[in-house]
Amino acid sequence: MGLEDRRGVDTDVYQPAEDSRLLAQAACDRLAGADDETRDSEPRGDEPRDGDTGPLVLEVGTGSGYVAGRIDAETNARVIAADLNPHAVRQAQERGLEAVRADLVAPFADGAFDAVAFNPPYLPTDPENEWDDWMERALSGGEDGRAVIDPFLATVGRVLAPDGVVYLLVSSLTGVDEVVEEAGEHGFSAVAIADDSFPFETLTVLELVR
Amino acid sequence: MKESLLEILCCPLDKHDLELEDAEYATDDDGDETDEIVAGVLVCSECGERYPIEDGIPNLLPPDMREETPA
Repeated sequence: MGLEDRRGVDTDVYQPAEDSRLLAQAACDRLAGADDETRDSEPRGDEPRDGDTGPLVLEVGTGSGYVAGRIDAETNARVIAADLNPHAVRQAQERGLEAVRADLVAPFADGAFDAVAFNPPYLPTDPENEWDDWMERALSGGEDGRAVIDPFLATVGRVLAPDGVVYLLVSSLTGVDEVVEEAGEHGFSAVAIADDSFPFETLTVLELVR
Repeated sequence: MKESLLEILCCPLDKHDLELEDAEYATDDDGDETDEIVAGVLVCSECGERYPIEDGIPNLLPPDMREETPA
């Protein structure tokens, strides 16, 4: 594989890591469980969704499409995979996912989704040290680590169905309490549904509901 | 993109519905059109902003972000 080809794989798109796996597992567990409970009570939506009878799920910042792919494979949800990065949406499409190039939830219809999953760029980054490529965009959460999380929390409510939920991965490096507080500002209550500890950080998956 | 995705999308600027123009559909083994759109343009019914569908992926970034490509 030549350098040009490798670039697309190694440096342009964030590849699945521990955070991706934790989010995928938590989202799959919850979506499979929720499906059993609510399945027969209220058929929702006016139109059939291409044979998909389960929930409609959006993954924001899908990267390689790993989390969306797991949800697609392990639940009966229809999954939409969105990313800002053109290389990422191409990788997601190559996985067989429905891919959309988008800035967070901006181009999605009001009330469309039963669940939105997001493993955001969360590393606090000194502005002097930002390296301005797609990998930086995938990793850097600005000075406080919340430069992408905060606008996400401010806008995600619009695209959620009335009972919709958010699965958000947060690191101790970013500050779980600060994220929970910010989510509260936008009408969400947060519950930690999974966590995992590593030498330098603890990863938590928050479930946000209104 | 699947044609049914259109129901889930809106204009990223004003959240109005999008209309599909100049759509090219993928064909199956028999040469029949499928519901998979490989190329076309999504046009906002309100502001008229145009969003391209390239290689089957709709690019719904607002115009000021569309050209942005980190090195």
